[in-house]
Amino acid sequence: MFVGTRILTVEDDERIRTAVKLALEDEGWQVLEADNGEDALALFKREPADVVLIDIMLPGIDGFEVCRSLRRNNDVPIVMVTARDDTHDVVAGLEAGADDYLTKPFAPKELSARIRALLRRARTTDPGITHLTFGELEIIPEEGRVMLGDSELHLTKTEFRLLVELASSPGRVFSREVLLERVWGYDYFGDGRLVDVHVRRLRTKIEADPANPRHVVTVRGLGYKLQS
Amino acid sequence: MATTDVAPAADAELDEIEDEPRRRRLRGTLRDDRRFGLRARIVMAFVLGALLLSGLFVTVAYTLTRNNLLDSRESTSLRIVGRNASAVLQALNVAERTPEEIVANLSTPTGSLPILQIGSEWVPLDPLNFAEADVNSELLSVVIGGEPAQMRYRVGSTPYLVIGIPLIEDDAAYFEAVPLRDIDDTLRSLGLALAGGAAISVFAGAGLGWWAARRVLLPLDDIGEAAVAISAGELDTRLEAEADRDLGRLTASFNLMAGTLQQRIERDARFASEVSHELRSPLMTLTASLEVLHNQRDEMPARAQTALDLLETDLDRFQQLVEDLLEISRFDVGSVALQPSNFEITEFVRQALAVTGSSPEIVHADGVEGLLIHADKRRLARVIANLVDNANKYADGVTSVEIERVGTGIRISLTDEGPGVPEDEQLAIFDRFSRGVAGGSRGAGTGVGLGLALVAEHIRLHGGTVSVEPVNDDGTGSRFVIDMPGVLV
Repeated sequence: MFVGTRILTVEDDERIRTAVKLALEDEGWQVLEADNGEDALALFKREPADVVLIDIMLPGIDGFEVCRSLRRNNDVPIVMVTARDDTHDVVAGLEAGADDYLTKPFAPKELSARIRALLRRARTTDPGITHLTFGELEIIPEEGRVMLGDSELHLTKTEFRLLVELASSPGRVFSREVLLERVWGYDYFGDGRLVDVHVRRLRTKIEADPANPRHVVTVRGLGYKLQS
Repeated sequence: MATTDVAPAADAELDEIEDEPRRRRLRGTLRDDRRFGLRARIVMAFVLGALLLSGLFVTVAYTLTRNNLLDSRESTSLRIVGRNASAVLQALNVAERTPEEIVANLSTPTGSLPILQIGSEWVPLDPLNFAEADVNSELLSVVIGGEPAQMRYRVGSTPYLVIGIPLIEDDAAYFEAVPLRDIDDTLRSLGLALAGGAAISVFAGAGLGWWAARRVLLPLDDIGEAAVAISAGELDTRLEAEADRDLGRLTASFNLMAGTLQQRIERDARFASEVSHELRSPLMTLTASLEVLHNQRDEMPARAQTALDLLETDLDRFQQLVEDLLEISRFDVGSVALQPSNFEITEFVRQALAVTGSSPEIVHADGVEGLLIHADKRRLARVIANLVDNANKYADGVTSVEIERVGTGIRISLTDEGPGVPEDEQLAIFDRFSRGVAGGSRGAGTGVGLGLALVAEHIRLHGGTVSVEPVNDDGTGSRFVIDMPGVLV
């Protein structure tokens, strides 16, 4: 299913890069390498990867900036790697556009599982449904497109999956745990901040006023729901 | 064998480090056993000062007034009495009138009461108020001896100035009792007024003292509040600069102290974070490389396989140690923050136990299923994992987990059937690097004794407590009880 999938790892520590490359190749992935942000962006332009793995601490432009640059015109799944698990790094990485994060040292098998989850196609409850409409918001799961009025929105794969998941039962409250499991493939102890930051990012794209959302609504203490 | 005495030695070293902090005495506070606070002492000093001053003033004013009044009354009376005495002597010599008539005709403008003694006969003007018996015997003997004399004393309740003048030629003596009631009344009123004034000045002194104490202690209260805020983690708390020179020095040095403290704590926090990065990078390489080796394990000779297994086990241990040390250093620098969310407590406990791979019986009352609590799920999962880990090492695992509702809180108890925790270690096992008697030897997979210390820190962060108690009467079996009040949603 994922044969020939290419992963770009951006990591300045050569030993880590080599060890992770070996381990990922054992898992069956093709691995491209870059040891700094500039090279990574140039390499990605020449040979687009299917998933990008970015270390936050890089010489020159840092991981956050690499992430933002990639996000400007691409929806490629991005996994941030941090050596510090403090809230600031995690949230800043997710807000820069990362889809998921891992804290060093992680098991490469765990990384493979994350990558597989990110590459999964958007799931719809009923394949027969081709259009979901919420006021001006129109979701076309078949084509992976979201329209707001006449203009098409550029969502990342994860943002799109999150929206489709919420749209699968309009008005139903989805807890963070359920969304973590269905969108990211996490077990019970996934990090709720993933959901929170992605909801925030989604709102800036689909809401007229992200501070007072009309579509993706927070249900205090319970989770999120989609309404029209 | 050699490793068994390592833990006590390390403990002794820790004991030495935990010495009493150096305390610097403030000048002028050498006596620590004062019963009253500074505020009370300042007020008392002011009251005492006011009392002394007004007491002195009252005494002087009263004495001066009294002497003045008495002196002027005395001199007036002496003049009148002298005149009356010579009038009596003249009349007696003329012998036209009876002594009664003489006495009755005397002029007594101050209302004084004359009494005349001729031989053994006493002729009073007003025998009801001043008669022979009312003449003081000492005074009488002096006057009879030929000397004029005066004396102040009370007859009944009335104070009198009694003046006696001997009339030698007629073997007689003339006495006049000058009533001093008006002076007495005046002095009494004056005394009351002065005492009232003194009382008012004492109260005023107390008020002034209270105000002064407040003025002096207000900056100290501010400093106290700021210190409490700083110890609660608000490291950027500073005092407002005081215009007053003396207080300005105090606030400036306090702010300097707070600034230095903040810098140090932030440097420590940065250090922990740097160390975290430095340690995790080689661990990352090790983890990934070992996974590559693990993928080839089946093709390795048996000896290499054993070595690989050892490497993997100890890498896990090392990784856990690094994580625990970093976590505990984060608690030390106060850079931990709860990431609370709402979740079902029973489902949580089931999931947390599933992660640890143990499957003890979960016991709870009917009402507990589905209760939502507000807490940090990952920290609480760490707590459960560490307690299960502890039970696995020392007590063959947790046998049952009980969830109870206690008021608006939750109590989770994990029970094992191990050897139990001796009574004198039931508090100490939550200390760092404390592994107790059972933990003295380092078997496979034993930690370094941070697990339970972290349990205590995580629970404390939630405002809760954790304790251990024996299960059976003979002290065997342990029940670790986590109490988290107020976490129910």
